[in-house]
Amino acid sequence: MKIVVCIKQVPETTNVKIDEKTKNIDRRGLGGVINSYDLHALKTALEIKQAVGGEVITLTMGPDDFAVSLRETLALGADSSVLLSDRAFAGADTLATGYVLGKAIKKIADVDLVILGQQSVDADTGQVGPIMAELLQVPQVTYANEVTVKNDHLVIKRNLDNVAQEITAQLPLLLTVTDTINQPEYTNVVEIAKSFAKTITTWHASDLQLDDDRVGQAGSPTIVRSISSPEKTVKVGHKLADNPVDAAKELVTALKKQNILAEDD
Amino acid sequence: MDQKQTSKEILLRMVKSFTENEVAPFDMEIDHTRSYVNDLLNKIKKYDFLSTMLPEEYGGAGFDGETTAAVINEIAKGNASLGVTLEGHFKSIDQIVKYGNQALKDEYLPQAKSRIIAFSMTEPSGGSNPLGITSHAEKKGDKWIINGDKIMITNGGLAEIYCVMVKTAPKELSFFVVDNNMEGFEYGKQENFLGLTGVPVGEIVMNNIEVDENHLLGKVGMGKEIGDSAHNDARVLMGAVLTGIMEHELDIVTDYATHRKAMDTPIIQMQGIQRKVADIAVAKETTKLLYQKATWLKDHGQDYEEEAAMAKAYGSRSAVKSGDDALQILGGYGYSLDYPVEHLIRDARAMEIAEGTVEKMRTAIALIEARNRA
Repeated sequence: MKIVVCIKQVPETTNVKIDEKTKNIDRRGLGGVINSYDLHALKTALEIKQAVGGEVITLTMGPDDFAVSLRETLALGADSSVLLSDRAFAGADTLATGYVLGKAIKKIADVDLVILGQQSVDADTGQVGPIMAELLQVPQVTYANEVTVKNDHLVIKRNLDNVAQEITAQLPLLLTVTDTINQPEYTNVVEIAKSFAKTITTWHASDLQLDDDRVGQAGSPTIVRSISSPEKTVKVGHKLADNPVDAAKELVTALKKQNILAEDD
Repeated sequence: MDQKQTSKEILLRMVKSFTENEVAPFDMEIDHTRSYVNDLLNKIKKYDFLSTMLPEEYGGAGFDGETTAAVINEIAKGNASLGVTLEGHFKSIDQIVKYGNQALKDEYLPQAKSRIIAFSMTEPSGGSNPLGITSHAEKKGDKWIINGDKIMITNGGLAEIYCVMVKTAPKELSFFVVDNNMEGFEYGKQENFLGLTGVPVGEIVMNNIEVDENHLLGKVGMGKEIGDSAHNDARVLMGAVLTGIMEHELDIVTDYATHRKAMDTPIIQMQGIQRKVADIAVAKETTKLLYQKATWLKDHGQDYEEEAAMAKAYGSRSAVKSGDDALQILGGYGYSLDYPVEHLIRDARAMEIAEGTVEKMRTAIALIEARNRA
């Protein structure tokens, strides 16, 4: 099975700052790490490869130094990587990013399965996977909690807010996975050195037969007009009566008031 | 970014994550139980930490001294004992790489991926005075017969392979490599030390252990040179451990002083607190620069004895003093066994003694300074 895992390099710190001018994340001075959800996507791909064979290719879009994260995926077990790097890609929103990644997957060719983390931890949109599925015209299953290969199809379990689903899906397919699907491994120290025997291919805009209007800032209809951190609010609790009977009555009244319990309960 | 820098960045990303998730949360438990809980030793082996600086031709990752020290620094920030356990293993590998004959390297270096190697000089009769030891090896035919008692070995009882210093003549010191699966090898008493309680420190007893000539490390009579070399390598890495301890101390005091208020003001705003926090930060950075200079010199084939001694002497004194400052900032919490500051002082205190006392380091530094000007 030929599997492509899309990864994103995100700022290492949780203390993310926003550039006031561009309204984008200010990456200056921040180290990078692989988006944690994507490590679950990679582990899923490696487990599928282990079960049925095939190859795992990791793909990212970003500046040249994002190759470090791709190299890390090679140390974790991926077979090869593709870096999409071009100044024309700068300023891309989720639509333009999905477009370029989708074009790269078409160029890789004969891909059976594309896997992404459910979202990135810096922008948190969760949109790139579904956008790619639409552009590639392949079925998608998002928020997968469990994936099993059965003959020529996948059996996928997903837990949504009020419903658990089991889906049987044919390939080719795009999948996004949650962080409960598996436990990613740490990079093995010796495998880091060995990863340099594997290849990272760099593709520029000219390698992908792109429509210029759909790339980078020009291809990004999303404009962030303002961004701010939510104000921290402290909710003051309420102490119930000491007497258990009175406390229970007080609690039931409070729950009804908040529509958590129905009036006739 | 070249291969070396890329590898280093990936490695340090992983070590940071490993330390934050697997080591730091268990720091107090390691101290209290005197053992590596959370299956840490198996995890260390699983992810090949033991092979960090092992040359690639023996199955290792082949990272240089600078990167290896940075790994120990990061791990020690989570738990100093684990940093010292790795330090003991790495300095032993270093001596086999430097002094081992090819047969010895071929036999033991590939095993260093999964079996911890220890380095042993001290005996009841001698520590910093190696000629005071009584362990000895006697040549019989093409074999050496080793007898003696080694104590206070870092990782003693945990390590499976030991580089041991013995006398091969009344005033002749040599090193041999012995293995816990050899006939005549026994583990002895474990020490009950004040700090670095996760690190087993123990005794081995050698009763007529018979080894081949290729188990001789270096040549007969090279004991002092090999011992000095091991000390230098250990002191560099101890500088990294001590930096990790001070980073841990800084994390604790800055968090506490930012949130703790006196008269409605966070105490970090008070000059008396600021001076202590600043002193810890300067000491941490100075120790880091000292060990990094030592690793740079080592990686570039230059003499690093003085910088190694400085990193350990200055770092250990500073980490103890910084711990005391941190304790004072935290007040009663600092003095409590339920909070980590007190054990950081105990951990740092060990390194004013181990691998040569602070006093011995100062003697070495002074003599090198005088020699350089002679």
